Amino acid sequence: MSLLPTPGGMLSKPLVLFIVLTAAIASGITLFSSASTIADWFKTATSGLFLPILLSLIVTFLLDPLVLRFERHLHNRTLSIFAVYALLIIIITLLVSLIGPVDWKGMLDALRADFPRYFARALEYFNQLFLRLHDQIPYLENYNIPAKMRQWAEEILGIILLATPRSAMRIGSLFLLVPLFSFFFLRDSQRIARSLISLAPNRYFEMVLDIYAHVSWQLAHFIRGRILEALIIGVVVWMGLSLTDIRYAPLLGAVAGIANLLPYIGPIIGMIPGLLIALVDLGTGPQFWWIFCVYLLIAQVLLDNFILIPILISRVSNLHPLWVILAIVMGGKLYGVLGMIIGVPIASIIKITLLEVRHYRSNFSLSRDIAPGRD
Amino acid sequence: MNPFWSNIFRKPGYEGTLAYFLGTIAMFSELSPSELKILENLVHLRNYDLGETVFAEGDIGSGMYIIRSGRVRIDLKDDQGGEHPQAELETADFFGEMALSLPKQRIVTATTMEPTVLVGLFRADVNDSVRKHPALAAKMLLGLNKVLSERLQQAALRHREHLHLPQEPVQTDPT
Repeated sequence: MSLLPTPGGMLSKPLVLFIVLTAAIASGITLFSSASTIADWFKTATSGLFLPILLSLIVTFLLDPLVLRFERHLHNRTLSIFAVYALLIIIITLLVSLIGPVDWKGMLDALRADFPRYFARALEYFNQLFLRLHDQIPYLENYNIPAKMRQWAEEILGIILLATPRSAMRIGSLFLLVPLFSFFFLRDSQRIARSLISLAPNRYFEMVLDIYAHVSWQLAHFIRGRILEALIIGVVVWMGLSLTDIRYAPLLGAVAGIANLLPYIGPIIGMIPGLLIALVDLGTGPQFWWIFCVYLLIAQVLLDNFILIPILISRVSNLHPLWVILAIVMGGKLYGVLGMIIGVPIASIIKITLLEVRHYRSNFSLSRDIAPGRD
Repeated sequence: MNPFWSNIFRKPGYEGTLAYFLGTIAMFSELSPSELKILENLVHLRNYDLGETVFAEGDIGSGMYIIRSGRVRIDLKDDQGGEHPQAELETADFFGEMALSLPKQRIVTATTMEPTVLVGLFRADVNDSVRKHPALAAKMLLGLNKVLSERLQQAALRHREHLHLPQEPVQTDPT
């Protein structure tokens, strides 16, 4: 009953402290280990979803203006999405029935058979080159470059051989998942964004909404521009290569288009397989030089630099070469080849977001109440 | 009643809906019921406590507010920080509509006088509706134009009055 500390109470104090500390450490360890298992589960559960979600986002950004056009007349978003889907299915069926289906799978199989041949020929060519070089620069002999290149080639070949059957199985599920995800992204993305914004406190709500509107507009513009650029480059390279006798023209077009997402080095990477195949199959004749022209002059200089980039992509998204390299390296660490390709666009997205926020804050000097530290 | 519960247990029938409420506002009087239904998804419902600042003088304005329930006081602040009440607004009154067309700093301060539910309509959403629902946006902006013209005329009349009778104190427009 007394308020004075009893001897027992005094004694128990270190004991209580000990128990509390032990419990804290134990629960901390449990939490930490369970968190890492939860993170593991999360990683396993979402591992296959990265590509479908990425593709659905791309489809969503591309189709959104079209859906908007329909929505203006139909006044119903769901109906408009279905209308756009129906239109797309009709167009694709028409195209396929007119041109005839592109035999992607057969092409891939053939390429897999041809791949070692191309590499062997390329290595042979480089070997000769290095032999000639060794005569002139004896110092090079220390490096044994051809052996290193053979090693790289075998590694890349191994990756491709391993990845294709797995991705072939995955393509089936992509055809199901991508339209489904895109449908929901198209229909509900705005509602999701609104409910997220509504979480902002009253005092900052207007600012959050304004910045969100600016950033999302810029980002949609940028992403749509990048995707359209890749598509157009890919189709133009395909068309240009189809005029020659080269095989795998559609595949090479796709590679060139996707590689074009990387600034500075992307176009060169996209060029290499085409030039390699041309060199091995066609030799250095007029066709090889035409292919070279298609890649460099028509696709890159004329189309990309003079037409597509000024129209589609704003200068805001230009990244410093150092950031490009960092983005590629970090993306590659995280998600492999896919990460390397989307690392740079994601870095651009971050840059655009930061610039927009800064622009907003400097253009309208924020009032005393809203400025940080004074609320 | 608590605005949270009054939102959930809305009166059945059209009269209780937000769309109907918006239709009673002068700015949206030209809108058809189906357009009001779209407008319902454009606006943001925000709940405020007693004495909360909706916006303060000097904030960047990005839209207007309509009072769904509760009361809001509009103040002008002087250099010493003293407040000069300009108006007390009630249900179905609106304020801040000048920011809807122009991103300028607010010239007054709005504070709630009791727990209040506000319907916010913001520039970003109006711009969106111009692309998505041009007919609705045109009617809405015409309504806004009407409101702003009325305010401008009132200000002009008052200015004239002021010129003829300089000894009368100038009444400042609340928004």
